[in-house]
Amino acid sequence: MRSLLLLPLLAVAAPAAAQSLTTVTTLPVTGSVPQVCAMQQGAIQSGSLVNVAGLDGDTLRIIQFVDPATLSVKAASATISFEAVCNFPHAVRVESSNNGLWPVDGRITQVPGGFAYAVPYTAQVTWGVANAQFSADAKTRRIAQQTINVEAPAAGQLNLRIEIAEGASNVENRAPVIAGTYVDTVRIFLEPR
Amino acid sequence: MRRQAAIFSALLAALALPGSALAAEAPASGDTDSATVGIIGTVPAMCFGGTLTGDGTFDLGVLVDLTTGQLRTDLSAPNKLLVGSFCTSRSSITVSATPLEAQNYTAAAPNGFSRVVHYQASAAGWTALPATYNTGAASNAAATQSRSTAFTGDITVAISNFSTAGGASLRLVGDPSYRGVVTVTLAAVN
Repeated sequence: MRSLLLLPLLAVAAPAAAQSLTTVTTLPVTGSVPQVCAMQQGAIQSGSLVNVAGLDGDTLRIIQFVDPATLSVKAASATISFEAVCNFPHAVRVESSNNGLWPVDGRITQVPGGFAYAVPYTAQVTWGVANAQFSADAKTRRIAQQTINVEAPAAGQLNLRIEIAEGASNVENRAPVIAGTYVDTVRIFLEPR
Repeated sequence: MRRQAAIFSALLAALALPGSALAAEAPASGDTDSATVGIIGTVPAMCFGGTLTGDGTFDLGVLVDLTTGQLRTDLSAPNKLLVGSFCTSRSSITVSATPLEAQNYTAAAPNGFSRVVHYQASAAGWTALPATYNTGAASNAAATQSRSTAFTGDITVAISNFSTAGGASLRLVGDPSYRGVVTVTLAAVN
């Protein structure tokens, strides 16, 4: 008599845990963006020059500083644009080395009465949503600065408008100005707050 | 594992019935007899995703040109290899990905800025055409590729074609952590 025995033999090798009907592999992708502020070389904004020859390197040269008839200051203005970016909340700081236009020649110590020996001006900064006016009042020769907080990243044109008013003086308005070469250096900083 | 346990139970149940019947049989009385033993083995459809080389992270480093704040044009990261992947039946491979997003700067980016970088992820070596997924695309028809046979081999996962969400002229907001994820799925088909 023949009997048929169906004997299932099951050898189960436990599969590795990662083996299954579906396997998923995840691969993170990472990177970073450092906090960056960058500013390109400035350029005169078209049509903004009044009594200013232009930008010579990084120097604004005024065509006629005083009225030859009265020796009082003639109005002058210019707007310089800088392509700039700050990719984080930051501050823009405007700094004047002299707090006004002062004679290069430091030997001018005796100032006759009624004469101006320094010239004030204003610097208007427009940057992103920030808009501020800095006044270099020429009352004393010193470093002066103003800081504006900018709450968000900003990119585009930072505009700096330098304006010398007609007859500007550190004494009486429209006072004649003592002979000399008058200078100041304006620095703009984009920096962390 | 749960599925395999169920198969095992079913086979044991099948074994019990013939066994009981055998116990009731009378002993063989002739000088010759034979018995037939059937052997059944089961290989379930299953896949193994492979062993990853390296640390498993696409580290792109600094994403921007520090002079302009815009996305670097030379971004790259070494490919990742999934070694020894296999599927015991026909299968499909699917790649998906999430864009790189700033993890700390979560507010909407201001005008002129973006906080998202798109890229393309691909998984090659499993099918004739690589599975590809672009995080900036509205649809990704090539994200899933199928093969009709069992297979074992290595899968190369790569990322490329980086772009700033919103346009190339935008800058990326400063953030020490931008993060996305590439997911590769191997699926066996019964």
